[in-house]
Amino acid sequence: MESNHTLLNGADLAILHHRFEGVARKMANTLMRTGRSGVLNRARDFSCCIVTAGCELITAAESLPIHVLSGPDHMARVMKQFHPELRRGDAFLNNSPYHGCSHAADHTILVPVLDSDSVHRYTVVAKAHQADVGNSVPTTYHGSAADVYEEGALIFPSVQVQREFRDIDDIIRMCRVRIRVPDQWYGDYLAMIGAARIGERELAALGEEFGWDSLARFCDQWFDYSERQMADALGRLPAGSVTATSVHDPFPGMPAAGVAITVRVTVDSTGGRVEVDLRDNPDAMRNGLNLSQACAETSAMVGIFNSITHNVPRNAGAFRRISILLREGCVCGIPRHPSSCSVATTNIADRVANATQCAFAELHDGAGMAEVGAVISPACGVVSGVDPRTGAAYINQVFLGMTGGAGAPESDCWTTTAHVGNGGMCFLDSVELAEVYQPLIVYDRHVIMDTEGAGRHLGANAIFVEFGPHRTAMTVAYVSDGVINRPKGVRGGLSGGAAGQYLRKPDGTLVPLPACAQIAIAQDERVVSIGAGGGGYGPPMAREPKAVKSDVSDMRISRHRALEVYGVAIGTDGEIDHVATSLRRLHA
Amino acid sequence: MRFACDTGGTFTDLVVEHDDGSWTMHKAPTVPEDPSSGVLDALGLAATQAGMELGAFLAAGESFIHGTTHALNAVLTGNTARTALLTTQGHRDVLYLREGGRVDPFNHTVGYPRPYIERALTLEVAERIDADGVVLIPLDGATVGPIIEQLRASRVEAVAICLLWSIVNPAHEQLLGKLIREGLPGVPVTLSHELIPIAREYRRASATAINASLVPLMGKYLGGLTARLRAVGFCGRVLMLTSQGGMQDVDDVAIFPIRLINSGPSMAPGGGSALVRSHTLAHDLIVADTGGTTYDVSLVRNGVVPFTRESWIGAPYRGHMSGLPSVDVKSVGAGGGSIAWVDAGGVLHVGPRSAGAVPGPACYARGGTAATVTDAALVLGYIDPEFFLGGRMKLDVTAAQESVQRTVAAPLRFTTEEAAAAILAIATENMVQVIEEITVNRGVDPSKSALVGGGGAAGLNSIFIAQRLGCPELIIPPAGSVLSAAGALLSDLSSEVRATWFVTLRHFDIAQANLVLAVLEDRANTFIEGAGRFAVATSIDFRIEARYRNQVWEIDLPLEAARFADAQAVTQLVQAFHEEHRRLFAVCDLESDIEIIGWIATARCRLHRSQGQIEMRSPEVRGGGTSRRAYFKGYGRVDAAVLPLNGISDGELRLGPAIVESAFTTIVIDPQSKFRVARDGTVIAYPGRRFAA
Repeated sequence: MESNHTLLNGADLAILHHRFEGVARKMANTLMRTGRSGVLNRARDFSCCIVTAGCELITAAESLPIHVLSGPDHMARVMKQFHPELRRGDAFLNNSPYHGCSHAADHTILVPVLDSDSVHRYTVVAKAHQADVGNSVPTTYHGSAADVYEEGALIFPSVQVQREFRDIDDIIRMCRVRIRVPDQWYGDYLAMIGAARIGERELAALGEEFGWDSLARFCDQWFDYSERQMADALGRLPAGSVTATSVHDPFPGMPAAGVAITVRVTVDSTGGRVEVDLRDNPDAMRNGLNLSQACAETSAMVGIFNSITHNVPRNAGAFRRISILLREGCVCGIPRHPSSCSVATTNIADRVANATQCAFAELHDGAGMAEVGAVISPACGVVSGVDPRTGAAYINQVFLGMTGGAGAPESDCWTTTAHVGNGGMCFLDSVELAEVYQPLIVYDRHVIMDTEGAGRHLGANAIFVEFGPHRTAMTVAYVSDGVINRPKGVRGGLSGGAAGQYLRKPDGTLVPLPACAQIAIAQDERVVSIGAGGGGYGPPMAREPKAVKSDVSDMRISRHRALEVYGVAIGTDGEIDHVATSLRRLHA
Repeated sequence: MRFACDTGGTFTDLVVEHDDGSWTMHKAPTVPEDPSSGVLDALGLAATQAGMELGAFLAAGESFIHGTTHALNAVLTGNTARTALLTTQGHRDVLYLREGGRVDPFNHTVGYPRPYIERALTLEVAERIDADGVVLIPLDGATVGPIIEQLRASRVEAVAICLLWSIVNPAHEQLLGKLIREGLPGVPVTLSHELIPIAREYRRASATAINASLVPLMGKYLGGLTARLRAVGFCGRVLMLTSQGGMQDVDDVAIFPIRLINSGPSMAPGGGSALVRSHTLAHDLIVADTGGTTYDVSLVRNGVVPFTRESWIGAPYRGHMSGLPSVDVKSVGAGGGSIAWVDAGGVLHVGPRSAGAVPGPACYARGGTAATVTDAALVLGYIDPEFFLGGRMKLDVTAAQESVQRTVAAPLRFTTEEAAAAILAIATENMVQVIEEITVNRGVDPSKSALVGGGGAAGLNSIFIAQRLGCPELIIPPAGSVLSAAGALLSDLSSEVRATWFVTLRHFDIAQANLVLAVLEDRANTFIEGAGRFAVATSIDFRIEARYRNQVWEIDLPLEAARFADAQAVTQLVQAFHEEHRRLFAVCDLESDIEIIGWIATARCRLHRSQGQIEMRSPEVRGGGTSRRAYFKGYGRVDAAVLPLNGISDGELRLGPAIVESAFTTIVIDPQSKFRVARDGTVIAYPGRRFAA
C-alpha cells in the first residue's frame, strides 16, 4: 500500500477505519479495567479518541457523545500552541473549559504520537470524569458556584505531566494536596495515562505496518467519504429554518422562571449543510451552569446527529457540513474567564441538544427526536463521607438510576439513556457493587408505571430510587433539572414523567428537597430520588396495539392508561379487545 | 470406543474413535421433534458400517459425548418454560434495567430490549441482607404463602430465585427455595448462588432466569436420551459438551442447562485449530462451521481459543446476558438449508429462515418447496445428486430447478442458473459479514489469516468466501464436516473449582492462603478421582483473580506452585502482578496494595490417546476420471474435474475448476484457484483473485 498515491480501495478503507476504532476501543478497555473510582470502572463516564496531527477528530468509538465531538480538536491545538516542540514520552493534562475541555471535572490526558523521525502524526486523547477535582464543596458539579474561584477546582490549561514517560512530580503533588481521596485520584490518573500509552503503542504499530503516509491518505479519504455521507443525509431532509426552545428549571443565579434556551436550526438540503445558531441566548450566569465552547458546540452536534441517519460517521469530515454560531460571553457560547462552567456537560447542554433535535422533528416527520429527560437527580449525584467499615474517606459519583430515553421516528426509546449528551453509554450501578464500595443501601429502584412519554414511539418511564447511608451519615450533591420542565414529546407525542427529590425522615414522612444542593443525610434518613423519563414521538393513538399490549404486561402502562391515552382496550386476560380498540380510536 | 455426537439444526454428526485410535464419521438427519432419535439413527449407521448389531456396538463404548443446540434454540424461539423470578423487595426491575450500556449511541432504529421474564411474573419478597451478609429484614416464611398462591395461579412451570447478597449469605435463598419446592412440588427451582456465585445482581438474575426456564425442557431431553441409550445397550458414561468448551457428566448439567447454551459450537474453534495445525503457518485462524441452519465463526489467534466473560444470547446489550464465561463463537442464520426469497421491492435475501431437516431443501423431496442454498448448489452442478452423503440420499434435481425458477428466477427475471449463482453469492456475503465482525472490526486482517472450513456445507462456497476476504489459504480437514464432534474427541474433561477469599498482598497470611489452596486441591482431586477416573493424564493448575485496591475488574494470574513456600514467593507474586498489569495496560502502581478476590483450581483430565494426528477410515472409494458441467459466474458452464478425496491425497498442486467429493462433503474449487490434498485428506486451497464481475 505504501509509496503509490492511488486511492485506497473500499476494503482497505474498511479495514483501516476499523483499525482506528479498534485502537480507541482498546484505550477505553484499559481505562475501564484499571480505573479506581466507580464513576470510571463501574459507570464508564469516560471517552477515548484519536485526532490527526492537524487536530481533526478521526474516531471516538464507544465514547460519550458530549465528551468528544468537539473539544479533542481544540485541546490538541492548544497543546501544540503551548508546547511547539513535542517529544516522545510527553503527556499533557487539560481540564480547562477556557482551553478546549468540556468542564473541570473531565481531566484529559493528551499524548502526541511521533513516528521514528520524530514527526508528530496523531494525538491520542483520554478523558475521564473524576470522582473529585478539588472543588470548594464535595462534588464535581458545583451548580451554585458564582465563578471559577468559588468553584475551586484546580485548572490545568494544557500542563505537561509526563516527560520521557515519567510523571512530573510537581504536578502530581499539587493534585495530591488539593483533590479529595488522593490515592483514588492517582489511580484514575494512572488509568488515563495507561489508556493513552496503549493508544500510542497501538498507533505506532499501525504506522509501522501500513506506513504513516498510507495512514494519512486513509484519513483524508475517510474524511471525504464522511463528508459525502453527511451531505447526502442532510439532502434527504426538506430545506427550512426552525426555531425551538427548551427551558431549564430555575436554579440559584437564574431568573425565577428558569432559563429558556433558543436554538435556530437551518437546513440547506440542496447544499447538504446545516447551521445551528445559539447566539440568541442570555449572557453567562453567576452560577456553574455555563457551557464551555466544547460543550456548546458538541451539544448542538449531538442534537444534529440524533436527528439524521446513524450511518454518517462522526468525525471531522462530516463536521465540515455543520456550522454552529456562538457568541462570546453567552450562557451557551464561548465562556469568558472567570465564568464557571462546572456543570457544562449536562444541564444547559442538554437543553441545547434537546431543542436542536425537537427543531428537526418539527421540520420533518421522520427526523429529529423527542426530548431526553434532564439530570442530575440525587440517585446520580456525588456521595461522600467516611466509610465506617474502614474508617477511610470516600467520594464518588453514583449512577443508581437513570431512564431518560426519548422516542425516535423509527423506534421506542433506549430506556437507560442517562441524559441526551451521554447517549446511553454509561453503565447503571449494580446495587451490590454500589453497596460494597460505598456505605449505602439501595432500598428500592423501579420504573414508575404510567410516566412514559406517550407516543407512537415511547419515551422512557421515570425511575424511582430510594437509598440512604448504612450505619453512618453521608453527603449527597446533585443538580436536578426537569422537576418543572418535563421532557417534551414531539409531533403529537406527550411529555415524559418529571424529576423530583425528597428526604425520607426516620418516621417515613417525605420532605421536599431543593433542586440544586448538597444535602447532609443522617444515619436513619434516606433520599427518594425520581429521575425524569423521556418524551414520546408521534401521536399515541397511532401506536401499534400489539406494542401497547406488551407495555401493559411489562407494567409500564396501566390498562386504564392504555385505553385513555392510546385507545387500546386490553382485557383482564391481557389480550387486545380489537372491537373496543377500533371504536375507541375511531372516536379519538 | 468413544462416541462424539453433535446435534445441529439439520444434521446429527457422529464421530467414533475406535480402539485402534482411528476415527469414522457418520451423519444422520436431525429429527427436530425428537432429537434423540436422530442420535440413535447416527449410531445405527456407525454400527452397520462396523458390521455389528447396535446393542453390541454400543456396549463396547466407554463414553458418549454429546453437544446439542436444543437449549439455545429454545431461548431464541421463546420456547421455554413459563418462568417466574423472585427478587428482593424493591428490585423487581432488575431484568428490565440491566446494567445500562449500549453500542452505537446514535442508532435510534433499535428499541430497548424487553426483560427475559415479563414484569407481571417478577415477584418481590420482603427480605434484605447487606454486603457483609448481615440480615437487615428477616425473611418471614408466612409471607411466602401468598407468593406460592400467585405462582400457582399464574401456572408457572419453573422458578428462578435471585436475592441481593445471596452470594455472601445464602440463608434466605435457601429457605425460600425450600418453601417454594414444598409449595409447588415438581416445579424446578434455580437458586442464583448455586448457579453462579458472582456479585452484580443483573448478571446473576439473568443467568438464573435463563437456567430455570430451560430446566423442564432440557431435563426431559437429557433424561430421555440417556434412558434410550441405556435401553439399547450403552453402559458407558454420558458426557455433555458445555459452553466453556469442556464436558461434564450428564447428571451434573441437568439442573444447570444454561451451561449447554453453546454446547457443540463451543468445540469447533479448538477442534478446528487442532486439526489443521500441521498444515498452516498462519497465526490467525478463522474457524467457520457451516451447518444447515447457522454459520458459526470464531477467531483462534496463536492457538488460543477465544473466551468471553460477557456472553450474550443475541447481540450485546440487546440480547440477554448468560453471565457465564464461555467460548466466543459468533453465529449468523446462514447455512445449506437457508431459504432464498425475494421481497416486495424485488430484493433477493437468503435466510435467516432455514428449511432445516424437515421438510428440508426442495431437492430432498420431503415436501420442501422453498429454494435453499443446497438447491442452488445442485442447480449449479456442484453437488452430485447420486452421491449425496456417500450416495445414501438421492437428490431431486428437477425439484431444485423448479424451486429456484419459481421463487427466485421468475420474480427477478433471471435464468435459473443466474438465480442459483445469485443465491450462493448472497449466502457468501452474509457469511463474509459475520467474519468481518470478528476480524476487521477487531483490527485483524483476514488477508493474513487462514480460513478453516468446517461443516457439511462448507465446501460449496468456502472458496468464494476466502476470495472475498482475501485469505491466502482455505483449509478443510477431513473431519471438517463434523467439526464440533471432532473437537469433542480432542478435548479434555475439566472442572474449575473456586474459592472466594479476600486478602491483600500487604497483609498476606501464608498459612491461611495455603489452607485455601489445599481445600481447592482437595476438591480438584475429588473431581479427578470421580469424573476423571478413566483419564489418560491429569493435571491441576492454580490461578488467582487479583486487582489493585479499588479496581473492580480483576486480572488472572497463574500461581507457579500449589503452595506458597515462603515470603519470597509472595514478593514474586507482587512483582508478577505489577508486570502483568503493565503488560496489559501500560502502567503499574507500585504504591498500591493488591487485592486477591478469587482462588481457582482447574483440574484437567485427558480422556483421549490421540495426539492430534488422526487416522480417518473412509470406506467409500469412487472411480476417478469423471467430470461434471458446473456453472461459475463469469465463465458459464465449464467442465470441472470430479475427484474423490481419498484418491488424490498425494500433496500435488492441482488447478481448478474441480469438485472434490467425499461421503460427507463436496469441495468446490473455482477456475481461478489451486489446491492440493495432504496425505491425511486435508484439502488446502489457494484462492485465486476474485473474478471482477
